[in-house]
Amino acid sequence: MRKQAWAVEVKELTIRFGDFTAVDNISFAVKPGEIFGFLGANGAGKTTTIRTLCGLLVPTSGSARVAGLDFKSGVQALKSKVGYMSQRFTLYNDLTISENMAFAASLRKLKPGVLQSRTRELFKFVEFDYPVKTLVKNLPGGIKQQLSLAASLLHNPEIVFLDEPTAGVSPVIRNKFWALIRKLARAGKTMFVTTHYLQEAEECNRIALMREGRIIALDTPQRLKTQAFPEPLIEINPEVGGSRQWVEKLKLDPRIGCIQPYGRRYHVLIQNQAGWKKVARTMPKSLKTRPIQPSLEDVFIRLVEGGRT
Amino acid sequence: MSAGFRFSRAWSIARKEVRHVRRDPFTLATALGLPILLVVFFGYAIDFNVKDIHMIAADRDNTRASREWLKNFTSSRFFKLEPADPGQDPQSALDTEQAKGVIIIEPGFGNDLGAGRPAEVQILLDGADNSTTGIISGYLIGIQQAAWKKISSGPRVQPLSLQTRFLFNQEQNSRWFVVSGLVVVVIGVLSILLTALTVAREWETGSMELLLSTPVRPLEIIFGKLAPYLGLVLVSVVMVYLVARIQFGLPFMGNHLLFLAGILLFLCLCLAQGLLISVITRQQQLAMQLSFISGLLPTLLLSGFIFPIESMPPFFQYLTYILAPRWFMVISRGLFLKGVGLLELAQPLFMLLLLNLIMMGLALKRFKKDLEP
Repeated sequence: MRKQAWAVEVKELTIRFGDFTAVDNISFAVKPGEIFGFLGANGAGKTTTIRTLCGLLVPTSGSARVAGLDFKSGVQALKSKVGYMSQRFTLYNDLTISENMAFAASLRKLKPGVLQSRTRELFKFVEFDYPVKTLVKNLPGGIKQQLSLAASLLHNPEIVFLDEPTAGVSPVIRNKFWALIRKLARAGKTMFVTTHYLQEAEECNRIALMREGRIIALDTPQRLKTQAFPEPLIEINPEVGGSRQWVEKLKLDPRIGCIQPYGRRYHVLIQNQAGWKKVARTMPKSLKTRPIQPSLEDVFIRLVEGGRT
Repeated sequence: MSAGFRFSRAWSIARKEVRHVRRDPFTLATALGLPILLVVFFGYAIDFNVKDIHMIAADRDNTRASREWLKNFTSSRFFKLEPADPGQDPQSALDTEQAKGVIIIEPGFGNDLGAGRPAEVQILLDGADNSTTGIISGYLIGIQQAAWKKISSGPRVQPLSLQTRFLFNQEQNSRWFVVSGLVVVVIGVLSILLTALTVAREWETGSMELLLSTPVRPLEIIFGKLAPYLGLVLVSVVMVYLVARIQFGLPFMGNHLLFLAGILLFLCLCLAQGLLISVITRQQQLAMQLSFISGLLPTLLLSGFIFPIESMPPFFQYLTYILAPRWFMVISRGLFLKGVGLLELAQPLFMLLLLNLIMMGLALKRFKKDLEP
């Protein structure tokens, strides 16, 4: 098999700020054209990793190759091959849409003709149809995100880094945004997305789970689930009240692995199939049980809890 | 890494910055309003010229000689003389702030004078207001001499006479003195404030991330961002200059090119200082406070603008050596009022250059360290 050229290849990357280790010895690789997700809580090191890969920070140790370039060949070349959309809104509110696009283009030395055709193409692509003389501050939040995305795609980058692109937008816009991300990936761009929404992570081809600067798991969403939950998962749905004593009792039962509350329901991890059947028979009829597929949330909780013990 | 400076990128940042300024009423109002405010305030409201000082005269002698002597006061425009209330202790006028000074002539003044004995006049001054007191006592010497000549019949020559002639600013016009220093204040405050805000704003709004994710270089950002403010402050300087010449009738005795050189040196230094503040604070609020402290206070208090450096305690005198406003003040006043040349301004120009190199070095180093990965 031919050795694959990775879009991003990170080896033993560590980034420290003084005494604080933001990213702790992580290694991973991203395939070209892949939607690669970085999942983790705030402060897990997602943004720091992305900013490093975009050439905004220098790693303390370790190496990274992005679009075939490493840091030794200079970050300027790198910056022309990647697009970066920060989690903060980085366009100028007091400039118009076209002024913002022209400014971003001029820093990347795009010719005016290229800018015009690219802008038209991109606006069509992201379904952006506001008059270009509108001041950016007058645009709604979700529309601003679309414009940010368009601005980060102006120079036709091979790899696009999106840092929490859907933070704070409505679910409708979020779905629309993910449709765009898939469309870009189909067009051959490598999409590197961070998020802390677990539903969003399901959309990625592969995801890396980050916690406290480390990658604690990395795989496709499906395989993460089967790896984290080789045993079946049961949902208990207490239809009437008074289930607390039962849940407390289950928690102490050695045949039950783990029990997690989910709203009014509980997810129960079964250690021993035969044992569970015995337990289930003793439970009152009002506690409905059904086997379920684990969600990424279950995986996340499992892995994070597992990492703590 | 710093090779590959592209003028086109600096230019587009500058153009964007001009758009910001045009759309931000606060910046425009500050840049054009502050100089006018300063000129009006310092040019009109503050007046160190002593005129119409209220004095109370208690002439208890009431002879021709004593009246003649007092006339010296009324004929000068500096004093406004009022006769004392006969029933009242004249000194009480000082307590009630009705007058800044009291003149008391005891009976026998005329007789003593006629007989060639030393004749005495008592003058009480309100020492609480020590700035006027100093000036009044200065005038008194002059008046005394004038009186001496008139009263003593014949050209009796005094054994020693002091005559002061002011070489520059002959009219002793305090407005000239203040206004010729205003250019320093306007540049010192405005340029530091505006630059400190502009870069801090870029950090605060997050747009610095956008700049950094493009191949733009720190030097291009600096040139692009500072050039428009350099222009804006120069416009304010021209405004102040015109007001000084036209409205206040200031002379300009020196060389304009030399003045421009001084302005540019001082301006660049202030821009660098603003940049340094901006990089350190990264917040507009904090940047504004720091630039007022480090810009306004030294220019107003320690530059010799109003308070003479020679009368400061030694520590502060030495401190002013490292403060650019002090040196530019020398240049500005020297050129406006004295017409000094390059030779006389060599030291202040050299000091400005030196401080410039230090400040720019610091600002550039911090800025590059912040931006370059």
